[in-house]
Amino acid sequence: MQSKSSKNSAESPKEMTEYYKHLSLFWTDIIHLMSSKPQALTSIGPMRAFAANSKKIAVELIEINENLVGFNQYITEYYKQLSNAWGIAQKKVNLKVPKIPQDTEQIEAMKRIWIDIFDNDFTELFDSKKFGENYGNLVSKELELTKHWGNITNVILQSVNLPSKEEIDEVYNEIHSLKKRVSKLELELKKEKRKNAK
Amino acid sequence: MQNESRIDPKIIEEILKFSKNVIDAPKLVAAPDEINLEVTPHEVVQKIDKTRLLHYKPIIETKHKTPLLISYALINRFHILDIHPQKSWVRNLLEQGFEVYMLDWGTPTSMDKYLDFDDYVNGYLDSSVEYIKNQSSTEKISLQGYCTGATIATAYTALHPESVKNYIATAPVIDGWKDTTVISNLAKHMDVDKMVDTIGNMPPEFMYYCFSVLKPFEQGIEKYVKFFKNIDDKKYVDNFLRVEKWLGDTPPIPGELFKQWIKDIYQENLLIQNKMYVGEELIDLKKIDMPMFTQVAVGDHLVSPECSMPLHYAVGSDDKTLKIYPTGHVGMIASSLSQKKVLPEMGTWLAERS
Repeated sequence: MQSKSSKNSAESPKEMTEYYKHLSLFWTDIIHLMSSKPQALTSIGPMRAFAANSKKIAVELIEINENLVGFNQYITEYYKQLSNAWGIAQKKVNLKVPKIPQDTEQIEAMKRIWIDIFDNDFTELFDSKKFGENYGNLVSKELELTKHWGNITNVILQSVNLPSKEEIDEVYNEIHSLKKRVSKLELELKKEKRKNAK
Repeated sequence: MQNESRIDPKIIEEILKFSKNVIDAPKLVAAPDEINLEVTPHEVVQKIDKTRLLHYKPIIETKHKTPLLISYALINRFHILDIHPQKSWVRNLLEQGFEVYMLDWGTPTSMDKYLDFDDYVNGYLDSSVEYIKNQSSTEKISLQGYCTGATIATAYTALHPESVKNYIATAPVIDGWKDTTVISNLAKHMDVDKMVDTIGNMPPEFMYYCFSVLKPFEQGIEKYVKFFKNIDDKKYVDNFLRVEKWLGDTPPIPGELFKQWIKDIYQENLLIQNKMYVGEELIDLKKIDMPMFTQVAVGDHLVSPECSMPLHYAVGSDDKTLKIYPTGHVGMIASSLSQKKVLPEMGTWLAERS
């Protein structure tokens, strides 16, 4: 273990995560196998189902950590881009309005310049490929986090015999396709009736 | 001391006046919740799932035989077309003697996440058209689509040309690759499959974020400064609050519909290339062969004119008109310009063909 751990400390964060995931799975599986027989005595209680699925929670938590690293990277870049755009826009304003405004007209004029320059510069940023790509990645990481959170919730739901998100989705999908078929038939019937009435 | 004496007393006066306006605002102005946005009398004539078909009560005797159905956008609600008695799109059309119907898409819930383009085009819109045809004993209706509602209406008109006598496309979302707005840039970089699989419907909060990046300083700061400065101007304040209330009320977009819209329009741009499918049917814009009227706004920062105008050139109609107005996305439908220019021009065009 010692040598493996030392070896991993020199490896990338992804490999480190994989290693700890493996370590966690190994022990939860072993513990689960070792303890499953006595647990079977209480097979209808919530703790039995929860214990059977608890390793999923461990895996999800490890993967959440991995995604958090990516999320932090993209959110840092997001605020860096906003902050850079702000700095550049403010410099442009300073060049156009070198003096502190002294009356209401000057304040109004300065405000107009400030808004125009900031709106232009920020729109240029939001329109850029680099912003779009980073924003896409940031949202994608947020979705990964949501997905893991959903998976953890599913484990808890299953432990009290409630349907998971996938099972509910299946019902929604089934209802949707049934309603669609009925609506189409009803509409066709109406159209036929109107044709026949002519 | 020398610096202090140089400050214009008007500045202090302005600051004090502004502060007083902020304090007085709640006494002078109604809360957005207290404002009713459905101003023109109407009745709900058909309900399917969460959608409602509204029929507006005539103001004068109906002069034109062909009824008009409006297909509103998927973002925000239809109220913007009837936002204020003096700026109501619907009321203006009623005053011109048209019979007006509006399709309210309603507020989808998690259960509606599988609703797709096919449900909207061949389901809700087709059912509404069928209802109107039955009621008015006509074989064809006039159809108007606004923004993303025009994307749906365009698909409908291409698939059911036998039911549409005249088609009006107002700021339609058509050619996603030519769209120059920030929305299009965000849409192009979105992993929409992952998004819909994970969260289902597109939540309003996400839409608010997308709108917040449009002219962020003008819309996020200056607009509110102006509001408090003009707190005594009843007309301005009433109009401002109505539009603000409308902006703050956007329903979720069904997941499957959102996925297809982003992929087919913004990412793969299938509609304008006649490669988009709705259900199992291919949309061929050349099949739109009835009289068509396209309205775009040069200052539209939500749907750029470059995104809308290709529809005018892609359809098969011989009788087609393209109008470009010096205003924005909302200005085209709810402003004094829309009342004085946009609606009279559209009304004249439609009256000649109804």
